[in-house]
Amino acid sequence: MKAIINGKEVEFRENDTILQTARRYDMFIPTLCELEEIDHTPGTCRVCLVEIIRAGDSERQIVTSCNTPLEEGMRVFTRSRKVREQQRLQVELLLADHDQDCASCVRHGNCELQDAAQFVGLRESRYHYPEFYRQRTWDDSSPSIIRNMSRCIRCGRCIAICRDVQTTDILFYDDKGLNAEIGVRDSSCLDNSDCVTCGQCTLVCPVGALAEHDDTEEVIDYLYDPDIFTVVQFAPATRVVLGEEFNMKPGTNVQGEMITAFRKLGADIVLDTNFAADVVIMEEGTELLHRIRNGEPLPLLTSCSPGWVNFVERNYPEMLPNVSSTKSPQQCFGAIAKTYLAEKMNIPAEKMRVIAIMPCTAKKEESKRPEFTVDGRPEVDVVLTTREFASLLKREGVWLPDMEKGEFDNPWMGEFTGAAEIFGSTGGVMEAAVRTVYHIVTGKELPAIELKQVRGLEGIREAELELGDEIGTVRVAVANGLKYARELIERVKRGEKQYHFIEIMACPGGCLGGGGQPKHKHNYHMYLEARQKAIYEIDKNCTRRQSHKNVLVKKMYDDYFGEPYTSERAHTLLHTSYTDKKRVIRHTIKEIWDELSVGR
Amino acid sequence: MARILYGVWGGEVTDNRDKRFFEVEELKELDLMDEFNPGNPVKAFLGAKGFLVFDGGTSILDALYQYMATAADESCGKCTPCRVGTRLLKNRLDDLGHGVSDSGIIDEVLELGEHIQSTSLCGLGQTATVPLIEVIRHFRDEIEKEIGTFAEKGRQAYTSYVTAPCIEQCPARVDIPRYIEYVKDGKFNRSIAVLLQKYPMAATCGRVCVRFCEAACRRSRVDQPVGIKVLKRFVADRERYVTDSWFTPDLIDEKKSDDLKVAVIGTGPAGISAAYHLLLKGYPVDVFESLNEPGGMAGVGIPEYRLPRDEILNKEVSIIESLGGTIHYNQKMGEDFTLADLHDRGYKAIFIGVGAHLGKKMKIAGEDTSLEGYVSGVKFLLYVNQHLINEDAEFPIPLGRKMVVIGGGNVAMDCARSALRMGVKEVHVAYRRAEEQMPADVEEVEAAKKEGIEFHFLTQPVRLLSENGRVTGIEFVEMELGKKDPSGRRSVDPVKGSEFIVETDQVVVAIGQAVDPSFLSEEDGVELNQWKLIQTDSNLATTKKGVFAGGDCVLGPATLIQAMAQGEKAARSIDEYLTFGKTRFDAGRRMSEIVQSIRKHTDDDVVQPVKSQYRVVVEELEPEKRKEIFEEVEKPISVEEAYREAERCLRCYRIYSVITDH
Repeated sequence: MKAIINGKEVEFRENDTILQTARRYDMFIPTLCELEEIDHTPGTCRVCLVEIIRAGDSERQIVTSCNTPLEEGMRVFTRSRKVREQQRLQVELLLADHDQDCASCVRHGNCELQDAAQFVGLRESRYHYPEFYRQRTWDDSSPSIIRNMSRCIRCGRCIAICRDVQTTDILFYDDKGLNAEIGVRDSSCLDNSDCVTCGQCTLVCPVGALAEHDDTEEVIDYLYDPDIFTVVQFAPATRVVLGEEFNMKPGTNVQGEMITAFRKLGADIVLDTNFAADVVIMEEGTELLHRIRNGEPLPLLTSCSPGWVNFVERNYPEMLPNVSSTKSPQQCFGAIAKTYLAEKMNIPAEKMRVIAIMPCTAKKEESKRPEFTVDGRPEVDVVLTTREFASLLKREGVWLPDMEKGEFDNPWMGEFTGAAEIFGSTGGVMEAAVRTVYHIVTGKELPAIELKQVRGLEGIREAELELGDEIGTVRVAVANGLKYARELIERVKRGEKQYHFIEIMACPGGCLGGGGQPKHKHNYHMYLEARQKAIYEIDKNCTRRQSHKNVLVKKMYDDYFGEPYTSERAHTLLHTSYTDKKRVIRHTIKEIWDELSVGR
Repeated sequence: MARILYGVWGGEVTDNRDKRFFEVEELKELDLMDEFNPGNPVKAFLGAKGFLVFDGGTSILDALYQYMATAADESCGKCTPCRVGTRLLKNRLDDLGHGVSDSGIIDEVLELGEHIQSTSLCGLGQTATVPLIEVIRHFRDEIEKEIGTFAEKGRQAYTSYVTAPCIEQCPARVDIPRYIEYVKDGKFNRSIAVLLQKYPMAATCGRVCVRFCEAACRRSRVDQPVGIKVLKRFVADRERYVTDSWFTPDLIDEKKSDDLKVAVIGTGPAGISAAYHLLLKGYPVDVFESLNEPGGMAGVGIPEYRLPRDEILNKEVSIIESLGGTIHYNQKMGEDFTLADLHDRGYKAIFIGVGAHLGKKMKIAGEDTSLEGYVSGVKFLLYVNQHLINEDAEFPIPLGRKMVVIGGGNVAMDCARSALRMGVKEVHVAYRRAEEQMPADVEEVEAAKKEGIEFHFLTQPVRLLSENGRVTGIEFVEMELGKKDPSGRRSVDPVKGSEFIVETDQVVVAIGQAVDPSFLSEEDGVELNQWKLIQTDSNLATTKKGVFAGGDCVLGPATLIQAMAQGEKAARSIDEYLTFGKTRFDAGRRMSEIVQSIRKHTDDDVVQPVKSQYRVVVEELEPEKRKEIFEEVEKPISVEEAYREAERCLRCYRIYSVITDH
């Protein structure tokens, strides 16, 4: 089929939209609410206007290109004066009920609405009425995510992600008219809801309506407090992503620059979450074998991903006995730092503050869980997402690419293996665990160190592993993204397949695609592959690639914990328990009718 | 017969301002404008295609302001131009009314209005500024002379009405785009709540409704109508706990005193709907049912494979009891009690919803209802229903090997398909007109064909054959299509000499039902009309004071949704009767009448290209499997399918408003 866009003949198939086709022919039409990567065209912003003349018609019509199909013989004009004027007016209207205090907005300079205004050539904004948005929700109840609905443009991307990608489905369009905003299902705020704090919604919000809870002030307080010993940890998936915030190529490893930057900021001890990841493998691997040998509930489900832990507590409490009791690397790190490290370095634990740099919004919430305390103090004091850390560096005048590459030097916790690094990717925990479990059972190293079957980015992947006569064949599976987690758990519950060990990460790609990672305009997860490649590259270049070969971890067990999993100290400090948090909400029809009469 | 002073409708400009008004032509199609309610003429009418002013004293600026205020309130707020633009316009019109007259303000209003019209996402925004645009384009001076007059003149009497083609075609005027929008937004409990504002039997309606709404759906101009019914079933099934725990007597705000009790006769859709609304209004309600189970025609007339009785129908009926109503079974009016008894027992108002259960006869030679092998459609369905409740009991009539069902409506389809399931080997349907004239749902006919039922169209019975009191066969004559009658339906005429005989041992006559008048006696004072239906006025009051009626006994054999709509209407009338002694003006209903009276003015095409997205296909049990069992044939759709189907709704909302004298 053929049509004409701006005088140029274009070919298309039935139901192709004007926007799709224009893009295929490299013709630019400004868009805002649309997100091509997830095929999201709600048609709510109405910015992508074009003029059309249908075949056999003489009248011009204005339509949105994102959801209007091309037709045989249709003529499309994307740059007519009328189009440009109406696009401009549309953005003016968008700004009329939008909090235009751009300088203080978290998306300043990285905002898709600002872009839209520039793309349509807006030079003057006639409309701005604070009374149009002042009554909207501002929700900072969650330790992870802030909702500022005075900045929402109702693109519905967050709803699509929450519903279709994560199947958590807690966000929806609420109220109507100028009060229309994104509401939280069965709750007035995120904190009392079924939100799992994964933060995927924050990655797609085109403006500053959804963002991480900003904790940089607290970090600066600690860094500049002379009485405080700051211990910094950063997660495996941050080092291959942080560079993106400084215009570096996706997949650049900036571990060395991060170490130097921390030291420049005045951190007292710079360490790596990876040390704790090696510890987690020792614990969780042993836990797996313990469960297999003692006939305890299988499959064992990993517990590193707090978004996943929140999900299972809220949606599948019946599976809680299967969730590994091993704490996540972040929390193991905090627990070890405030006991073992404090003791070894002779630092009073009460003066120690553990700062974690995480690719994750859920890690903020995790650190605030009441069970994660040592002697009444939080194991981890403050968590910054990759995004916040970048913003902290910029606030402190540190331009990351200018940093020299530093090295870890701590004699107690300053080492990690390749197995720990791959924790940052979906499939990595599984692969790391397999390397060590194989060794524990057989006393030998895996002949092929890389478990290719569980690598990649597909939603669910599985593998089988021979563990010798005693254990036999072990079946493992990996899921990333909660939609696939749900699918896999349903499979397990239906008894379709028996697994011994399942790794689940709440975010697509695992921590690489975490809700705290840098956001890019019109780009949800397009850099996942580059990031993943980088993480496996780090593993490959490590001299030690199995957690049980981490010398400092071994030393710590010898000196302090004793046996993994079974020793009392390991159990107290490195293991936890979970709570059934399923909510059953029952409404009366009267309540719902009342809702209908007030709004939508 | 209204005279237009000036206005624009559908692009057609009328300006009679310099004529002498009495010389202006009166338009019959606008005669409802003469009187909104008695003594209160319509001064101006504003709607999706323009505006009409009938009275020189009208302030068009105020009318536009109020209309735009409605639009701003109704805007769902998702798309930019409608959300912000309607509010800006409302504010600008208010500025004008208060004397702000900066140069260019009217141009700005026009620019915004045109922008909202051309770029809004749904029908509401696309039409909300039409009156405004037309006034400015053609009668700008009328606005200019009203600048600064708001304070002095105050607001004019204004009534607005928001509707859509599907809503207008629904007898119960369910807010269809709204419940579909809630499905789209994943707010299933609000979606079901919209339905429950109208009737308690949402899951039932979601299974058996005849879907006047879908026939009116504008999406069919793009591809196929939205699956409105299937979405209704989806939300009703999904939120099925509603019937268990949503309804309690405490949700009734204001309880009426115990002596204001109301009796409802019949637990069919009309009676249940009436009882439901009366209970919600706080009245104590007793319901009387002649059978030992509830549902009326929905219970005994619709087979289990279309409407599961225990799980769906009875659960929805039980909402009446959850709300504090009582259902008395095996209480047949005329046998177990009379109207006078009810009056003596202290019922202050009575609703009659007894239905139409008497099978019509074919009126052909040899027809004798007492013959073995002769049964009416409704009776046959009742037998099947009773059999399913108590499978041990013997089926009251012998089921033959070969059955002929006479008729082409849904009852005929239900009989034929039920007979298969009861084990009758060979089932035929004979209908005197052509297939496309069948009143039955197309889906029902298709399903019956798939199950192996044989259809004979243009086939009219002329003689019933019997021996020794048993049916042995039917003589038919072939028919041919003749001329169209004034209603457009083609007549059918017998083809001479084409008579033929079909041997059969069972004939089911399903050509319509009538009201069985035996439940009434002369003393009751409830009169029947010429069609032998209960005579009611437009408020469903019968000729007896305090007695109201609705459903099939008023309409003749009709549909579930019509019956439920009448139940609701009667409940409103009863409430007003018991509160004020008479029924009162219903502005919403009047607006609907006005909109429908000018339907040709309100119909409009889909002018913008829309991506085609095909309607959800409802999976069915395999015909080979299902034809032997009474399990529900249609399977539920998935959440993903429901989201996709809901996305197809074009939200053809339109705002209509009138300015009246007072």
